[in-house]
Amino acid sequence: MNPVRNLLRHPIRTGLAIAGIMVTTAMLLDMVLLSGGIERSFERLLLGRGFQVRVSPKGTLPFDTEATIPGARGVRAVMLSDSAVVAAGPLLGASLYARRTDTLVTLFGYGVDPVAQAIYQLDDGRDLAPADSTGVLLSQASSTLLGAGIGDTVTLVARLDPQAAVAAVERRLVVRGIVHFLYDYKGQPSVAALLPLMQDLARRRTEDRVSAFVVKIRDDASLAATTERLRAALPALEINSVGDMLAHFRERLVYFRQLSYILGTISLGVTVLLVATLMTITVNERLGEIATLRAIGVSQGSIVRGVMVEGGTLTLIGGSLGVLLGVLTAEYLDRILTAFPGLPAAISFFVPEPRSLLVAALVLVLTGILAGAYPALLAARAPIAATLRSDAT
Amino acid sequence: MTLGLLLSLLFTGPVDSARATQPPMLPALLSVALERRLADRLGAGVGDTIAIGLDAGGTGRRAVVAAVYEPAADPSAITKREYYLRLHLPDLAALLGAPDRVDRFGVGLLPGARPGTATEALNEVAFGFRAYPSAEIASESSQTFRVVSRFHEAIAVISVVASAIFLLCIMLLKVEERRRDAAVMRFTGISRRTIFSALLLEAILVAALGSVIGVGLAIAASAVTNLYYQHFFDTTLVFSIVTPAIIRFSVLLSIGLGLLAGSLAAWRLIRTNPMILWGRG
Repeated sequence: MNPVRNLLRHPIRTGLAIAGIMVTTAMLLDMVLLSGGIERSFERLLLGRGFQVRVSPKGTLPFDTEATIPGARGVRAVMLSDSAVVAAGPLLGASLYARRTDTLVTLFGYGVDPVAQAIYQLDDGRDLAPADSTGVLLSQASSTLLGAGIGDTVTLVARLDPQAAVAAVERRLVVRGIVHFLYDYKGQPSVAALLPLMQDLARRRTEDRVSAFVVKIRDDASLAATTERLRAALPALEINSVGDMLAHFRERLVYFRQLSYILGTISLGVTVLLVATLMTITVNERLGEIATLRAIGVSQGSIVRGVMVEGGTLTLIGGSLGVLLGVLTAEYLDRILTAFPGLPAAISFFVPEPRSLLVAALVLVLTGILAGAYPALLAARAPIAATLRSDAT
Repeated sequence: MTLGLLLSLLFTGPVDSARATQPPMLPALLSVALERRLADRLGAGVGDTIAIGLDAGGTGRRAVVAAVYEPAADPSAITKREYYLRLHLPDLAALLGAPDRVDRFGVGLLPGARPGTATEALNEVAFGFRAYPSAEIASESSQTFRVVSRFHEAIAVISVVASAIFLLCIMLLKVEERRRDAAVMRFTGISRRTIFSALLLEAILVAALGSVIGVGLAIAASAVTNLYYQHFFDTTLVFSIVTPAIIRFSVLLSIGLGLLAGSLAAWRLIRTNPMILWGRG
């Protein structure tokens, strides 16, 4: 009962079965990666700068709407009064313009406190100093768009009046550094400046409005309790830990998760059907041989084991090839999905995680072995004398 | 539809009016229309009074519900689960503290006017805004659905390949199961051609029967999908449609594969020595 030799007796059917298992395994792998991949990717993004809490206007998530939080200084003071809070960084997002020769280009502006920010990483040059009211940071895309580099001066304008054809605010700023904005979509032309400057440009200074806060908690163990305390202290605001954000995110991506579960289950079902059908027919064809083996003293257990190992071998070979195919198709599918407009460039939909991959592999091999259980029982229960007599006639 | 070509002017930022120096004037009681889901959530109906404001902690303004409306189903908005209400433009502008400011205009053109030419003319004099033809905006805003559509197509290709291999394998096994029958037919003098035709016919019938059951399953699965997601997202959107083209493609593919697999397997059987088919070769 050599499983490989048995499988090689029928190369076409074995080849087709392996091809079938390979494709279904690829599908299963992709669906396992999809089911939790984007959440892990998003979690990594959110925790990238170590800030575990996000604060936004009530009923919204950060930058989900144009709603803003008034009285930012007061809100920040309340948060910092909690002993578990290490830092609270205000953040304002606004649409603004920059002059390029005689035209205006549209930019996305972030108002930040450079000491407590979670939205960019410095690529080149230097960061803004806490009192640097004449400095600006550019993304690579905005640097290219404006044709400006470190040390150059750019002119940001805002509050345009179409009738008078004038801008109410205009600021000449020196480029201090080129940064990588973590939440930007690919090619987004963004700039960052100190919060008061951006509030001036966006006409948010009077009420000291910001779009959101990022909050760093001293240690992860006190995260839940601190989040609850902040909620109690600031009931008019939406306060979410990274875990809460992921829950909201999960709710929005419920479609992809459910799709991955359904397609993953179908893939497993197809694998079971394929292996079980193939093994049943193979066993039926070899009943005479099996009966002979039983007649010369081979135990029922050995027969059952042999058939199940054959099913497992088939699944293992198809599954191994399927993993390779799955990795390739995951890359292709990821390229499709990451083209979603407005999606941060750092997000990925298909993220491999050792634990989930191991679980998927185990489930697949067990599925293959179990799919061989029914034909194995058929083989073991075949009446020896009757089968031999029937085979002889 | 030239007449209906609306030209949307999308502004890259809110636009101030030079004349907008008047302080905001809000009526004592605002009049609003609530989206049906929001009305359900608030338990409010026409004639009820609600409070609305910019900040959750603020006192808000009193507004009477003048209407409850069912918005057009929008796939891009369903996962956000946001609630909408409508106000008269001056009321909203005043509430925002930004009188005579708007985010965008929709512009209707005279019959025969070309949107592209009109936008070019507007953009030449534009300051602080930009004009786009509606078609361009529609194309831009449908990017999300194009991505989802491409993803579905890719998944469908993988599914079709898997199904095709599965079908080929099953049909091959199904025909090979008839080895002894084929041997008996050969022993009794039935021609190879007749055996081939019989096996092929059987394969086609199995494939056709499987296709009919498959179409039935697909229609049922589609109905369940729509019921589930329409309830889940509280929307009238249709999530799954089984079109005649999809049925045609699936049935033809299934029967085609059945035919191919049946032919291959039957061809192998009739070329094999009947003694071998009988297990004595």
